[in-house]
Amino acid sequence: MSGSSDGGGTVAYIQHHLTNLCVGDCDPVTHKAAGFWALHVDTVFFSVALGVLMIVVSHRLGQNLVTGTPGGFQNFVEMIIDFVSGQVKDTFPGHNPIIAPLALTIFVWVWLMNFMDLIPVDLLPLIASGVLGIEYLKVVPTTDLNTTMAMSLTVFALILYYNFKVKGAAGYLKMFLFHPFGKFFVPVNIVMTVIEELAKPLSLGLRLFGNLFAGELVFLLIALIGGTMAVGLGALIWFPLQVVLDLGWLIFHLLVITLQAFIFMVLTIVYLAMAHTEDH
Amino acid sequence: MSKQKGPGLLLIGVGTMLTSMTVAGFGLGLFVDYWLDTPPLFMLIFGGLGIVGGIIKVHGLLSKLG
Repeated sequence: MSGSSDGGGTVAYIQHHLTNLCVGDCDPVTHKAAGFWALHVDTVFFSVALGVLMIVVSHRLGQNLVTGTPGGFQNFVEMIIDFVSGQVKDTFPGHNPIIAPLALTIFVWVWLMNFMDLIPVDLLPLIASGVLGIEYLKVVPTTDLNTTMAMSLTVFALILYYNFKVKGAAGYLKMFLFHPFGKFFVPVNIVMTVIEELAKPLSLGLRLFGNLFAGELVFLLIALIGGTMAVGLGALIWFPLQVVLDLGWLIFHLLVITLQAFIFMVLTIVYLAMAHTEDH
Repeated sequence: MSKQKGPGLLLIGVGTMLTSMTVAGFGLGLFVDYWLDTPPLFMLIFGGLGIVGGIIKVHGLLSKLG
């Protein structure tokens, strides 16, 4: 796949790995979405599969809970639940039974989707093309802007819902009229607050996408070191270098994927907490 | 120890706050321009407001640190 040593082969390799399996309104040449009715089947498949995995594992664990001395996996899950529950208690004022499960779901699901980045970049696309004849496969759902923006827009919908529910339509409208410059700059306040509200889902979605996309790109570049340069004796130098760099980036990236899942979860809790308070 | 630390945690996202507010401002302006057929008037005005709002927001968050 990456045997060509010219720039074209390298670029084609990267572009191939960054192209989704598009169905519907897609460009026949670039295979990118060309309209609204384009579906990234690989993104949908992997995100739903990981969601189902999460549900099945949780269900099985729930069926086999031990009260005395729990096993290693139950301990691990309890540790994650305690951690998320602690974050919600520290951050969220009052009580809303939906927030902690929502935060836990976001944290675990985003982490699992990010974790797909640590699977060797060529492994699943090779299996897909060899066994199933699928030409394009992008295995990390969070490197697709559709996933991250869908999640952040869902959080935004919840923010709007709780703003209306807690503050009331009049209270929420008042925030748009008089924040941040007071009653003499109402038109500016409206625009400013609308921008501020729109920036929330935008920053949530773009941050996750940007970090994971860049991480995936670095993995692809490291994969190219061995693929494009290891010819003859040169392989003795380039292959060990690739292994060391890959291992180093993998360890560092493990931190990045956890941090990004944590940030998405924490900011969701904070934004929902702000929606639950009377002041802005 | 039960003190709420919610607003402080917003500092996690302070790095992207300025850029996202700028992008949101320009985006909203672009939409209004498209709607009223007045390019590039509102894109520039709302973009400017996005930058100013982002600076105010980031300054407000960071000044809580000190």
